[in-house]
Amino acid sequence: MARSFLFIPGNVPRMLQNLDVFEADTIIVDLEDAIAYEEKDEARELTRAFFRAHPPHQPVYVRINTATQAMFEEDLHAIKDLPVRGIVLPKTTVKSLEETGAFFDEASINFDIIALIETPDAFFSIERIAANPRVKGLLLGGEDLTSATGSERTLEGQEILFARSQVILASKAHDKTAIDTPWTTMDDRALKRDTALAKTLGFDAKCAIHPNQVPTINSVLSPDPRAILQARRILAMHRKEGSMRFALDGKMIDKPVIERARKLLERAEKYGLLEGDRDDTR
Amino acid sequence: MIHDNLDDLLETLPLKDGMSVSFHHHYRNGDHTLNNVLSALRGKNIKDMHLYASGIFPAHKSIEACLRDGNIKDITTNYLNGPVADYLKKNGIRGRLKMQSHGGRARAIIEGENKIDVAFIAASAADKNGNASGLEGKNPCGSLGYAVEDAQHATIKVLITDTILDDIENPQIKGAWIDHILVVADIGDASGIVSGTLNITKDPLGLRIARDTMRLLEQSGIIKDGVSYQSGAGGISLAITDQFNHYLREEGIKASFFTGGITQYHVRALKENLVETLYDVQCFDLEAIKSLRNNPGHQAISASDYANPNNEKRAIRNLDIVILGASEIDLDFNVNVTTDSYHTIIGGSGGHSDTAEDAFLTVIVSPLLKARTSLIKKRVTTITTPGQSVDCLVTERGIAINPRRKDLLERFETSALPIMTIEKLKTIAERFTGRPAESKNRLHEIGLVEDRHGERLDNLYMKE
Repeated sequence: MARSFLFIPGNVPRMLQNLDVFEADTIIVDLEDAIAYEEKDEARELTRAFFRAHPPHQPVYVRINTATQAMFEEDLHAIKDLPVRGIVLPKTTVKSLEETGAFFDEASINFDIIALIETPDAFFSIERIAANPRVKGLLLGGEDLTSATGSERTLEGQEILFARSQVILASKAHDKTAIDTPWTTMDDRALKRDTALAKTLGFDAKCAIHPNQVPTINSVLSPDPRAILQARRILAMHRKEGSMRFALDGKMIDKPVIERARKLLERAEKYGLLEGDRDDTR
Repeated sequence: MIHDNLDDLLETLPLKDGMSVSFHHHYRNGDHTLNNVLSALRGKNIKDMHLYASGIFPAHKSIEACLRDGNIKDITTNYLNGPVADYLKKNGIRGRLKMQSHGGRARAIIEGENKIDVAFIAASAADKNGNASGLEGKNPCGSLGYAVEDAQHATIKVLITDTILDDIENPQIKGAWIDHILVVADIGDASGIVSGTLNITKDPLGLRIARDTMRLLEQSGIIKDGVSYQSGAGGISLAITDQFNHYLREEGIKASFFTGGITQYHVRALKENLVETLYDVQCFDLEAIKSLRNNPGHQAISASDYANPNNEKRAIRNLDIVILGASEIDLDFNVNVTTDSYHTIIGGSGGHSDTAEDAFLTVIVSPLLKARTSLIKKRVTTITTPGQSVDCLVTERGIAINPRRKDLLERFETSALPIMTIEKLKTIAERFTGRPAESKNRLHEIGLVEDRHGERLDNLYMKE
């Protein structure tokens, strides 16, 4: 499970060349909003040439142009045989998802989809979007959404709280990755606070729009050492007691807590945070 | 004797063709003294001088005319870039260019290898007896560490200042050493000591290198109470210093000393009591100057007390960690910070080879790709620091440990850090760059790079 999804523009060679050193768990190469109209061809060609020559060692998605634009098909034709995991579909609706699925079937494309939830419409059918088997994650696009609703974007993020909760609930209901909207300034302290809020709400991951945001996101969304220690203790006690219900430090531990501890340790192991004795973790 | 006019001063000096003159570089690109003095000597038609400047910067435009017109025949320096480097690349030098290290220069002056007839020593304030410091006056530059040996050992010592005070507290230059005092309107612009490289990098690759370097230092087990540390002033080095401070703070560790060129990041550590002492041979920014003036834990030292290999009390003798840059490194871990791959001089050792030789852990940090070529060469264009002094290379795509350091290889055997051979790193770089063809330029030797002990490390060339 990824913590960080880093957007990099598809028309900047230095960014493409170094995408594997930014420490992002997943990369999203952008052919959409980061690319000016007159540079779309260049971005498409550069992205294609780069991935043909340098197959990535980490999951890569490509944010293509929307299904309502002519460039949608051009983008998909350009990337359909590349060694990438899938696409990020902007302004996803049930309809655009169906059209994309039909195109995939016709062109024998087997990409995963991350649905970008950034229009008011999408929230009225978010459960159906999340249920689509091609969809592997829901990504909240807070900037486009607040632009569409006319909400004022604030540091505290109250204006997107409901949308965040919907994305999380729909994702969890269908076992998909819940990905939070990017933080759009380079204020690291504010990014840390916003990422901590996303973690508290239940997001699995957060987008970065600059490589320098990745370490903060990874750090906040990684299990902290105290939580790892506690999870190890819970699982050790669970093994000792042989029960799904027991007391630890005066608190009752039951199945959901044990499952959460198990998931936390799985993530910690994936991120290389389990140094030392691994026997305690299982 | 106090003079208020440069020409009058020069009239009293035994000027002659072939004489040697020295200058320090504490004002870096804000220095006025070297240009003013050399222009005056040129006006007096002094020929074949040997210029001993501890550093030559783009502001030192007068040197070019002196080379062209035969006023300067030889140059010995520790650092050189800008128009003088361009001139040497195209025109060479009638005599010889010698690139030394900071510690090597101090040793060579003390031991009489660098024979200086007249040392011109700019100081921001002096009293009437020639006691001087870089801390007072209208243009403070901080420590005068690179001028101390000149002031002690040149045949004639001229102190140049734009501020005369009644009393100088703790003078780094003693009046007893000084023969003449020249009072001028302006010795330099203190803001010129600050350069664009003195800020933490914002480049994502640079920050990745800094993070991995810090992980390497943490896992090396070397950061404990009493640790000593030096970093250069590049953006990556400063990012590492910032993270180093953070680590000391979080872990409750107190370092013994930081040394070398001092910046606001070192000063911050001293203020926070993360380090006992700053041994300052050169201030790199205005915060450092202020700290040197006010904080007793911040001490000015001479170049000899910093890095002279024959000075048993030198600060870096006990240095645990040094972080250094590279323009090239080769498969034997030799490092070049003196020239680019076309033999153009772009810098010089400064304290690079001094600290690398003395430090327990010498870490080179650099992006793997530089100007569309690999940082790692089969053989560096110019050896500034021999590979036997270099322990680790940290790039954004991996870390190489010198096979000579078997202890480190063993320690990092199970590390999750991306440790690989330097050959593998070179292969990774060449996946992007291809292999550049060997240069077929005919080269003409113009000088040499010398190590701190006075041994020739490599030659310097111009294109024919």
